[in-house]
Amino acid sequence: MDWFVINLLNGLSWGMILFLIASGMSIVLGAMGITNLAHGAIYMVGAYMGWTVAMKWKATFGLGLLVGGFVAGLVGLAIERGLLRRLYKRPNEQVLLTFGFVYIITNLCLWIWGGWPRMPFTAEFLRGSFEILGRAYPKARVAVILVGLILAIGLWWLQDRTRMGAVVRAGMDDKETTMGLGINLDRTFTVIFFISSFIAGAAGVIGAQLLGPRTSLGLEVLLLALIVIIVGGVGSIQGALLGGILIGVIDTFGKAVFPQFAMFTMYLTMIIVLIVRPAGLLGRKV
Amino acid sequence: MVAPKQQTDRDRLRSAMPYVALILVIMPFILSTYWEGLMTRFLIFALFAMSYNVVFGYAGLLSLGHAAFFGAGGYTVAILKLHYNVDLFWISAPLGVLVATFTAALFGIIALRASGIYFLLVTFALGQMLYSLAWNVKWLNSKGMQGITGIPLPDLAIPSFTLNTTWFYYMVLIFFLISAVLLYRLVRSPYGLALVGIREDESRMEAVGYNTWLYKYTAFVISGSFAGIAGVLFVYYNFFVSPNHLGIITSFLPMVMAIMGGLGTFLGPVVGAAVFIFVENFASIFSPQRWPLILGGLFVLTILFAREGIGVYLWRLWIGVSHRFGSSKS
Repeated sequence: MDWFVINLLNGLSWGMILFLIASGMSIVLGAMGITNLAHGAIYMVGAYMGWTVAMKWKATFGLGLLVGGFVAGLVGLAIERGLLRRLYKRPNEQVLLTFGFVYIITNLCLWIWGGWPRMPFTAEFLRGSFEILGRAYPKARVAVILVGLILAIGLWWLQDRTRMGAVVRAGMDDKETTMGLGINLDRTFTVIFFISSFIAGAAGVIGAQLLGPRTSLGLEVLLLALIVIIVGGVGSIQGALLGGILIGVIDTFGKAVFPQFAMFTMYLTMIIVLIVRPAGLLGRKV
Repeated sequence: MVAPKQQTDRDRLRSAMPYVALILVIMPFILSTYWEGLMTRFLIFALFAMSYNVVFGYAGLLSLGHAAFFGAGGYTVAILKLHYNVDLFWISAPLGVLVATFTAALFGIIALRASGIYFLLVTFALGQMLYSLAWNVKWLNSKGMQGITGIPLPDLAIPSFTLNTTWFYYMVLIFFLISAVLLYRLVRSPYGLALVGIREDESRMEAVGYNTWLYKYTAFVISGSFAGIAGVLFVYYNFFVSPNHLGIITSFLPMVMAIMGGLGTFLGPVVGAAVFIFVENFASIFSPQRWPLILGGLFVLTILFAREGIGVYLWRLWIGVSHRFGSSKS
């Protein structure tokens, strides 16, 4: 029983990080039709910036979170405004361009921060542990679950209850008509891209308690994001949340039960979902 | 697509091909062993990119798992050596290609249930599954390491002849040329034109009576088996195969080469492979620390200045030049 609850909590917190990783990429892919393979690299920028602010400069974790998110957001903004916006509806070129940025950003991070991987870190006040069922359980993991839930609710509200969300959903269904109604879809897209990159960067700092900043993160995180998007379905917050939690829990139990097949359970889940529901569990047809 | 102004341009390019082949044949006489190795690598990846181009460039299916077939071919050769001590080329290579083809036949059934961006995601997922299998199953690894090492150059079983790297270059060249001719015939045939039709408007092709699924499926399998040939040659060249040769890191390569060279043109992926392999090599010599920056920058520059691909860009340049200087005569 203990074993089950502890693993479930581990799975949920891992799932929340996966949700944060995938949500931005999923929305950008669904709403703007942009395949941003540099999403993982942007996450990595956030993780390194957070480390620099919170650990190297000994400022607070909260400041690290903000700076990490903001710098990642700026990187995303620069890529979108400078280059990606010329490539709407051109997936091949998007793939080449954003994959180029995986190389570029990874190498720049190596240049700035050096090759040695950083230890996982978290906020000062989250370093202790709770008693759960007579066992010590790290506070930071519980905090991740709460933060993830709050962000999920916030993003869901943004998507379903605000004007911007309505514009994005309308743009997904019919871009021409939406623009014909005098809505500046381009500006909305830029804002979305910034938010998506910001969340990726902030997720880099929040996730640093499990995935310490290292230069391989760009591709590792991209893989995780793609898996979550496949399982949950493209283009919705609910999909990313469901996919994230499902993969997080399955991966955690998979590692606990079959340690030698660590990644395999994750991929197997993905294949099964694809066979049963090719568009993902909560996906919309793209 | 390359749209030549006159058919003669394309004819001239085609008539130049035997000379290109001749240059490739005499290369080992001029070049050092180092260059020979680099050329071998280039030809293998050019073949890989060409095979990928059938699915991506012609049939319009954005696949992100093509390394699965490349690696399946390679792993078959490596496992035959590791567990059964077979290094006879005439057994290993056909089996490798067979396994690659079979993998493609299986993955094609699953992946073609999806379309568009989901097809990309499914092929990616399937490739990653093989990657994680190769990573976790002990039988698929040499003792104490990730991947299989110690694969020798193939034994051709010709009496009093041992293959060295120069002969291996020629072997790769022969496979490359034969595959290139076969693939060229394929994409120029009515079958290839039907694939382009499906890329441009699948529902219309369906309405005209084509079984579009079957076309896409066979293209996927054929492409997979040629990727298998490239994979078999690659492990002989590389002496080593690792899970990465099945996964996304390798799957990106033919995609990047095809886009960079000129998608949906026959020679574009070859140009892309040349640019990628040589720039990667010289950038890593020039700056061992910063070469990914150079390579990534090259992708961005390609998108900015030669969006249809470097191959198409060079082709246009050549047409422009040859028309300016040569058109008065013809």
